[in-house]
Amino acid sequence: MGLLVGKRVFSIVALCMMVGLLLLPVVVALPSLAIGEETHAGDAAKKDGDKVEKGRDVYYKTEGIVSGAPAPKTTDGVKDYPRYNFESRVLLWFANQQHLYYGSFVLAVPIFCMIIEFMGVVTKDKALAKRYDQLAYDFIKISLTAYSLTAILGGILIFTFLTLYPAFFSYLSGIFRPVMHIYALMFVAESGTLYIYYYGWDKMKEGFLKWIHLSMSVVLNVIGTLLMFLANSWIGFMMSPAGVDEQGRYLGNIWHVIHTALWNPLNLHRILGNMAFGGGVVAAYAAYKFLASKTDEDRAHYDWMGYIAMALGVAFLIPLPFAGYWLMREVYAYRQQMGITLMGGLLAWLFIIQATMIGILFLSTNYYLWQAMGRMRGAEKYQRYIKYLVFLLACGYMVFITPHTMVMTPAELKAMGGQQHPVLGNYGVMSAKNGGINVIITTTVLSFVWYMRGNKVSTVSWAKFGNIFMGVFFGCAYFNIIFLAVYGYYIPANVRVGLSVPQVATTLSCLFFMFALNSFMMKGAKQMGPIEWGKISARSQYALIMLATAFTWMMGLMGYIRSSVRLFWHVNEIMRDNSPWAYTHTVGFAANMISANVLFFWITILFVFWLGSLTAKKVPVESKAGIPGSVPQPAPSH
Amino acid sequence: MSALNNPVIALVVSLIITVGYFVMVDHYLMDMQGLDFWYLFKN
Repeated sequence: MGLLVGKRVFSIVALCMMVGLLLLPVVVALPSLAIGEETHAGDAAKKDGDKVEKGRDVYYKTEGIVSGAPAPKTTDGVKDYPRYNFESRVLLWFANQQHLYYGSFVLAVPIFCMIIEFMGVVTKDKALAKRYDQLAYDFIKISLTAYSLTAILGGILIFTFLTLYPAFFSYLSGIFRPVMHIYALMFVAESGTLYIYYYGWDKMKEGFLKWIHLSMSVVLNVIGTLLMFLANSWIGFMMSPAGVDEQGRYLGNIWHVIHTALWNPLNLHRILGNMAFGGGVVAAYAAYKFLASKTDEDRAHYDWMGYIAMALGVAFLIPLPFAGYWLMREVYAYRQQMGITLMGGLLAWLFIIQATMIGILFLSTNYYLWQAMGRMRGAEKYQRYIKYLVFLLACGYMVFITPHTMVMTPAELKAMGGQQHPVLGNYGVMSAKNGGINVIITTTVLSFVWYMRGNKVSTVSWAKFGNIFMGVFFGCAYFNIIFLAVYGYYIPANVRVGLSVPQVATTLSCLFFMFALNSFMMKGAKQMGPIEWGKISARSQYALIMLATAFTWMMGLMGYIRSSVRLFWHVNEIMRDNSPWAYTHTVGFAANMISANVLFFWITILFVFWLGSLTAKKVPVESKAGIPGSVPQPAPSH
Repeated sequence: MSALNNPVIALVVSLIITVGYFVMVDHYLMDMQGLDFWYLFKN
């Protein structure tokens, strides 16, 4: 009894410590936020004989007291851009990308842990609850090893900035000085919370203590998300600066500097992107372990793990294109020219590659789901319809990746009568592409619905009506999406641009309404047979690896696109990049660079997985017995 | 409910609901953006 009380007290103290760690940066920052900058400004004013210089915010158009130095005007020399016999930008690109990959992974995985641990806590089936808990623990174990590497890569990134771009880094850190220490303290809080969360797992595995442990995961993720938001404010500032005057002088309002035009769209896009990426990496880990498994027990466990990770990843992948639309919309609203450079100019071809990768992601997901239906009895009835889904996906994909213009020789250009192909060119416009991607996403939703009802037969009295309604709803949704895509050709551009909203709403309607309807229909459904975990083709596991690789590659690509849209600016329209590398690389070079980054990430993450497996081997036999999937067993829910 | 399980009635009711729903989605979401969904039919 005494021991239990002691554990409770310890858990509550640990939770309070975490909340304290979370609040620490805010408490420390309050005095400087409240008086610090004004004091600096006031001191400066006194020195200048009470002459206060005011500046006008380039974005918010408000007036503020000039509190910082103007953005440095750099020159192409070793002082501002030291040379190390290598293109500095490429080095920085590499350091940044690796840090981002690992940062995304270690921020996403604890969110998965939180969701899975919560599922374990609320699940009434004790065996399933134990499986969820073990899975969440496996996830955080992978994350912990990667966390150390993230910190090392963060150090390398700062060192790279300081060494290769000292003038720029000095300016940026000067602008963000009021919150720099908050970032550092948040990082300390994140580390502390993560270690308490991980090492407290076994001590807080039941009852009230489990809820305390679960609360810790919430605190951990709040800290992680805030940390990411702060980091996002730097890139938001570089793309769409605010809180400074036209010379780049800080005007004393740090919230303006953080809350730039693109900050919120970037935050949303990155959260969803990180989650999809994290799910993909964990799914690939499970696939690798599945393929390397020697026993049915291990195969069952890793098959289940791969499915859960993939499902979570795809759950965040589906809304990702819509967050992307919002980001692009805000980019256009901020600077139309920036949007044109992205979507219709210099970088447009990279978006064709992006479309190709998005298509691959959805095709891989669908393929995995169709393969996964093979492990449940009763799902055979859907097999003969899969060819129609393949047709829809292929049509949507081909329309989605068709370019508007093509790179050609003058002779080819002359023969074709312009840059736009007379037939294919018609499909390379936004109206058609929106239709293409929405058809792909709707088809993925349909595959998921089929998978969820694969081995079940609805027993509700209105089952026949439900099935017909579902079929009609999907049919009308496809019709509406394609109709809107075609309709766009017959109306002016300023009206056409609005059609993407009802198209997206149609897809989301399928997602939410059909998932809900399916859940109601499948309540108390008759099971045709158990899901035989582990009895799935090896091809499905390669699809998971493909999914993860495509995520990684696309993340590298989109990071490059977002960064290079600034063209020759360090900070858009405020601080010019005068280095010899202030030009846009060719598509081929960028693709090679992204591939190299992806390769390096996967080699190092395999090393991390290997390290994780070393500790797993040391787990005592009694713990091993608790690992789920000892025999292929049914899962009551998907 | 048993009438709804008649395939023909189910189909007709489903069509009425879904077509009505998607027409409303198209109309109101364009309207919210200050755009006219029926532009082509009016001009």
